[in-house]
Amino acid sequence: MTFEAVLAQARAEGRTLLNEVEAKQLLRDAGVPVTNTTLATSRAEAQAQAEAAGYPVVLKVVSPDIAHKSDAGGVKLNLKSQDEVGAAYDAILESCLKHVPGAKITGVAVQHMAPQGTEVIVGMTTDPQFGPVMMFGLGGIMVEVLKDVSFRLVPLEEKDATQMIDEIKGRPILAGVRGQPAADIGALKTAILKVAEFVEKHPEVKELDLNPVFAYPDGAIAVDARIVVAEA
Amino acid sequence: MPFKEKGGKLYSVQLDPKEIPGIEALGVTNVTSMADIPEPIDYALVAVPRQVSPFVLKDLIANGANGAGFFTSGFAETGEELGIKLQAQLVEMAKGANFNLVGPNCMGLYLPKAGVRFNADAPVSDDGRVGFLSQSGTHGIMFSLVAGANGIGVSRCASIGNAVVLDVSDYIDYLMQDDETEVIGMYVEGVRDGRRFFETLREACKRKPVIVWKGGQTEAGSRATMSHTGSLAAPSAIWEGMMRQCGAITTQNLDETIDTMKALLSAKKPRGNGMALLAQTGGQSVSITDAFARAGWDVPAFTDDTYAQLGEFFNIIGGSFKNPLDMAGTVQGKTETLDKILSIIEADPNIDGMAMELSAMFAARQWKANPATLDSTLDILKAHMTASEKPFVAILHPAHEMEYIGSILHKFHERGIPVFQSFERAASALRRVSDYWASR
Repeated sequence: MTFEAVLAQARAEGRTLLNEVEAKQLLRDAGVPVTNTTLATSRAEAQAQAEAAGYPVVLKVVSPDIAHKSDAGGVKLNLKSQDEVGAAYDAILESCLKHVPGAKITGVAVQHMAPQGTEVIVGMTTDPQFGPVMMFGLGGIMVEVLKDVSFRLVPLEEKDATQMIDEIKGRPILAGVRGQPAADIGALKTAILKVAEFVEKHPEVKELDLNPVFAYPDGAIAVDARIVVAEA
Repeated sequence: MPFKEKGGKLYSVQLDPKEIPGIEALGVTNVTSMADIPEPIDYALVAVPRQVSPFVLKDLIANGANGAGFFTSGFAETGEELGIKLQAQLVEMAKGANFNLVGPNCMGLYLPKAGVRFNADAPVSDDGRVGFLSQSGTHGIMFSLVAGANGIGVSRCASIGNAVVLDVSDYIDYLMQDDETEVIGMYVEGVRDGRRFFETLREACKRKPVIVWKGGQTEAGSRATMSHTGSLAAPSAIWEGMMRQCGAITTQNLDETIDTMKALLSAKKPRGNGMALLAQTGGQSVSITDAFARAGWDVPAFTDDTYAQLGEFFNIIGGSFKNPLDMAGTVQGKTETLDKILSIIEADPNIDGMAMELSAMFAARQWKANPATLDSTLDILKAHMTASEKPFVAILHPAHEMEYIGSILHKFHERGIPVFQSFERAASALRRVSDYWASR
């Protein structure tokens, strides 16, 4: 689906939040490395998609009514067989409907479970004075507690992406500490620049989060994605 | 009156000719209406009751005037309906006529070359190299005075007030194209059109160094800007990111702003990070080293050749020349010894720049007793600065000799020797400038 088509569909449904499957498809088309994620609307579909994605897989509920997927029991990790996928699919639907009675369930997102890498986040927010602003930081505690993030205004030049990565306090972590491998800085730079290009091309995008992105010694991939668009 | 001495023609427009007593005696023609001014006005300073300001603007536009600073206040900054309405009226009239309205609610322009000032104590000079704009009248005036006291000449300075016709970006746009302005500085609390500010600043930074002193960088401070200029606070992390993206040099106060300009204008570009630190005594040699190291400078060992040369004459009883230097016992007020030390260190390939303490404790006594020794010392420093490709900065803490030190600073300024009042101020000013050149 094109950006326009996804936007039209979201707006027709009164949504400003694109679901994970929509967001990832658009980002993937824009050249941002994301895990391939498909939408299953039945148990059998989920199992077939899991086979295609390759085990282990992750299942996540897709619902406009459920903001906190984990709290509602809507996320199942590290599933290793068709049987496990089938059981997880059933469990997700049951748990989500119990937590949020009457919730509209669009389906379940199926993706290969990417191996753990160094967690970083790449995001974009809209400042009322300065417009679209890109954000970069290390994931988890570094961003939540220490607010160790860097910002640049869209559009970005290559040096801006380099500086965003270099100026965070946790930068040595990306160079590899305590036996951890170094992160592929070039791949992170590309991810930042591709996201910046994407939001520059689509001014309807008001917020975007890739959280987390797993950085590896060779490459990087976003395992979750969230896009908020402007109201019609 | 410098403005008249420089050939400027000044008119006073007062409904009551006796409003300003003695103005005719100063040789200023008083007229009772703008219509009586027989030629186009270059610049007017308007200080009238706010209700009258639209009428004055109408007359200025009719005259074909180039622009005006509106000292008059009581507009949107009051939050009152009348003030907001009057301001909107000024904006509509000025924009409709493409009129350069500075302010309102400001001190207007400081144009030293033309002799136009907003404070009678501000210097008049023809060769100012720094352009400054200020969202605060006080900071504008303070800047013009403190820059002068530090030997920094101003090309043009604007107190921009409510900036409702000409905004921050317009002034930056002007200063970046102004050939007489080599360095731009500004005090800002907020900007109206954030995108235009970003794009204009980024362009300006490509052309010349721009120093941005942002008011309201803390949460409490940003509440203060809200009531001062009504500026919307930008999250400081986003502001900082934008500054780096543009390539601006950021400062947090007037002192840092002045210090950075001084280093930019008077010190050579550092090409590396190794500093030679020359102190007069042991304790100060430690303090200067801590200050420079904290600011990110390296204090490397000299080469063997340098040590061999210094070792020939350096008094190591109560002194040291490892880097830092503890050298008063060796120099003992002899300028030729100082000259020799400077020459040896300057030639050391490990060294990219020099910072030297001048001690008010020792030197002032000698200089007071024999003023020629001050001049000869400064001449030696000046000669080294001129011959060297490496930056040199001097530090002269006023200590207990505040009045005397204040009276001799002009001797440094006349020779273009950058002098700072503390190790920390010298170290961080040079750091900012070094980072700036490294990022180019």
